[in-house]
Amino acid sequence: MILAVAEQREGTLNRASWEAIAAAQRLAAQTGLGPVRIAIAGGEVAASAASLAEAECAEVVALEAAALGAYTADGFTAALARLLEAEAPAFALFAHTYQARDFVPKLAARLGWPLVTDVTGYGEPFEGRRTFTRLVFQGKLAADVVAEGDGPCLVTVQAGAFPADGVARGASPAPVRRVEATADSSAIRQKPEPPFQEAKQAVDLSQASRIVAVGRGIKEQSKLALVEELARALGAEIAASRPICDAGWLPLERQVGSSGQTVSPKLYLALGISGAIQHAVGMKGSRTIVAINKDAEAPIFELADYGIVGDLFEVVPELVKELGKSK
Amino acid sequence: METLILWVLVLVFGGLFAWQVATRVRLIRRAPGRLGVADAGAAAGRLLREVVFQSKVIAERPLVGLAHALVFWGFVAFAGYTSTEFLAGLGLVDLTGTAAFRFYSLALVPFAIAVLAGILVLLVRRVVFRPEALGKLSGESVVIGLFIAALMVTFLLDFRLAGESLGGRVNWWVHALVILVFLVLIPGSKHFHLLLSPITIALESPVLGEVRNLDFEKEEIGYETVAHLERKMVLDAFTCVECGRCQMNCPAYRTGKLLNPKKLILDNEDALLAGKLDAPLKSIYDENVLWQCTTCGACEAQCPVGIEHLPLIINARRGLVSNGEAPDALGAMYNNLERRGNIWGLPQDQRQKFVAASGLETFDASRHEYLMWLGCAGSYDADFQKSLRSLFDLLRRLEVTFGVLEKERCTGDPAKRTGNEYVYQELANANIEEFRAAGVRKILTSCPHCVKTLGPDYRLLGFEAEVVHSSVLLSRTLPGQLPASDTVVLHDPCYLARYAGHVDEPRDLLRRVGATVREPVRNRHNPFCCGAGGGLLFEEREEGQRISQTRFEQLQATGAPTIVTACPFCSIMLKGAQASSNATTQVVDITSYVDGRLKSTS
Repeated sequence: MILAVAEQREGTLNRASWEAIAAAQRLAAQTGLGPVRIAIAGGEVAASAASLAEAECAEVVALEAAALGAYTADGFTAALARLLEAEAPAFALFAHTYQARDFVPKLAARLGWPLVTDVTGYGEPFEGRRTFTRLVFQGKLAADVVAEGDGPCLVTVQAGAFPADGVARGASPAPVRRVEATADSSAIRQKPEPPFQEAKQAVDLSQASRIVAVGRGIKEQSKLALVEELARALGAEIAASRPICDAGWLPLERQVGSSGQTVSPKLYLALGISGAIQHAVGMKGSRTIVAINKDAEAPIFELADYGIVGDLFEVVPELVKELGKSK
Repeated sequence: METLILWVLVLVFGGLFAWQVATRVRLIRRAPGRLGVADAGAAAGRLLREVVFQSKVIAERPLVGLAHALVFWGFVAFAGYTSTEFLAGLGLVDLTGTAAFRFYSLALVPFAIAVLAGILVLLVRRVVFRPEALGKLSGESVVIGLFIAALMVTFLLDFRLAGESLGGRVNWWVHALVILVFLVLIPGSKHFHLLLSPITIALESPVLGEVRNLDFEKEEIGYETVAHLERKMVLDAFTCVECGRCQMNCPAYRTGKLLNPKKLILDNEDALLAGKLDAPLKSIYDENVLWQCTTCGACEAQCPVGIEHLPLIINARRGLVSNGEAPDALGAMYNNLERRGNIWGLPQDQRQKFVAASGLETFDASRHEYLMWLGCAGSYDADFQKSLRSLFDLLRRLEVTFGVLEKERCTGDPAKRTGNEYVYQELANANIEEFRAAGVRKILTSCPHCVKTLGPDYRLLGFEAEVVHSSVLLSRTLPGQLPASDTVVLHDPCYLARYAGHVDEPRDLLRRVGATVREPVRNRHNPFCCGAGGGLLFEEREEGQRISQTRFEQLQATGAPTIVTACPFCSIMLKGAQASSNATTQVVDITSYVDGRLKSTS
């Protein structure tokens, strides 16, 4: 049996859980160890369990205890160790979340089971045994590793490696089995505090899938309207390089670069940005970079996938016009 | 009777003086570290230049400096006179009647007039003009100024009054009492520099910004509290003459930030004397000032009494970093250094691509004279790489042989300057190991920060190599002379000019390719920083005006259409300022400029 362990906080399911389920389903299909079971632990998990039951699985185990209301490494390790010993799955899969990073190694040590972390896929079997693919040397090499021993094994899967849209849905909701966890709150040494809230930024550019960024090539603040128009047409967020934010033309939270936000959208459109290193380090992770700049020598063209050497005041209106047509 | 009174007074005032001095000596002796002269020859040179000839006092403020020099030389000249008079007054030895003493006294007359003139200038400046550097008017400094004037007047009056007349005796006693009161005022005031500054100047490190490595075996973590200040720094605190040269040369202070190097030293003095030895340093300075320093070194270089600000600031930063109190932006940079070995956290293969595209060979001591050190900017900044490509072309034409390391990690400069000693030593020791393995003896680099770190800083770790900045090498090897046909202004990078002393080479090089070099305010050995040093390249926002903007405007004010600099970080900052001000003045690295000039005229 293969167990996928889902994760929730205050009743909200962590979306990465679906990736763990997708990984478990794929492993079940490859090994014939199916069907998958799903476990979820917490103080109050009925809603999460109901939503998990939509996945194709034998059942959802809802592990509940007041002591699991707020996450603690001690509480979750104790509760899940008991569950895993009782269920005895061949593999237990977790998403490689911060929470999993925090307690799964402890859980593995408690159980004495091997743990393979941050797995990106399954490799060819080696001497008849399952192999798990992990990236090593800062992602330069992919290693297929085998877990030690013949017993059960814990696995965490890297975010995005098993896309959530690959989860097979059941024809009808799977049954939910509620298990009262006997968590002993006095054995929990950690005292959880309210979750840390990052200072609220009005815009979180790191989540934007498209960004139109503007640099000093825009020349005047009034011309920003042109950029806003293009951003609207693309459904993109507006960002800027340091001089624009220094001048106060755009708020500081829209600054991209080493002294600003680091972004990796699908599309990064750089308008009149020279591409100085201090800006480049904040955006070079973007999937596709398009640069428009008058200066063909500008370093931004070293980074760009597509470059237009030209006056942005000519190019941008044309782009807006074309985007309008294609709608 | 007079002899007895004088004895009582000398013992009382001398005792008060000695008691104050003893308090301070105790504070110095209980401080950690030890005092030592690193290089006796250099120290003797400094004593001659800076004490005897008052070079640093005069250089920046010629009129005031000269006035001070007159007073100083007068004091020295009067030492024998005062001693002789007191010995006689105390009934010990009376040499006042000798011909030699009379001749000596006469010879002192021009000195007395010079001192009077000098002190008058200083008093007028103090009371009437009150320059910003001096801060609030202190009554005591006026009193002391008047004392000095009184000493000279009574000395001169003595020639007109019969020694044994009532007037003569009154005059004698006024002179003696002024000296005794002055003596008591010395230790508690900035006038303690009279006695301490020759000591601090002798003890000053001959290398600017030399900050001792931390010894992790001894669990050293930098300074956390006042008690951690080392002996030289405690001595510095009592020596400070409060002239404010550090303050007026500080780019942070001059752009409206809270940091004032003079105040740091005086805050130390106050805390030491108040016995607040356990107070954390961050509580005795204004919050955040320690992170406003670019480590440009102007304060330390301009200080006329040998105070070393950089070891203080960097050690205080070390204390903060050790407690996880570095600013967030630096945390990200440290992470980049630890994980990727460069300040921007970029993958090594980007450097590899540049190395391959530029056709660089791997360094081989048997074939290459120089190890070409790319540095973070050379490895990853597309803009600075243009300048390096120009350098490679020039070197090949000049038949200078060079190769690069297969992999490079940051020298550790930003970690060192911001107080992350652990990361610095990790990087530095790993680099040194590779240099040794490769048999590196000469290193060529275009980054002045690398020059300082690979040179003087690595020497403290036991690695010795000749480290040359590319502009210096080119100035030595580039032949020919183009006719003047362009005008530029040179921005001296702090780490090239102030730290490494190379001010003539880049100018020679520019003239050689036909440029007329204009000079901005704050140039040569005392440039105004671009704002990038000391980890401030990564600062999110600056209080007051941006340092880079201020510097850009100073350079722009020369009217030269092109600003030339010789440091990748100066380039980044000044180009940023140029973009922000929408100016037509261009900013270009010296190597690009030289290469461009040679190509356009050939």
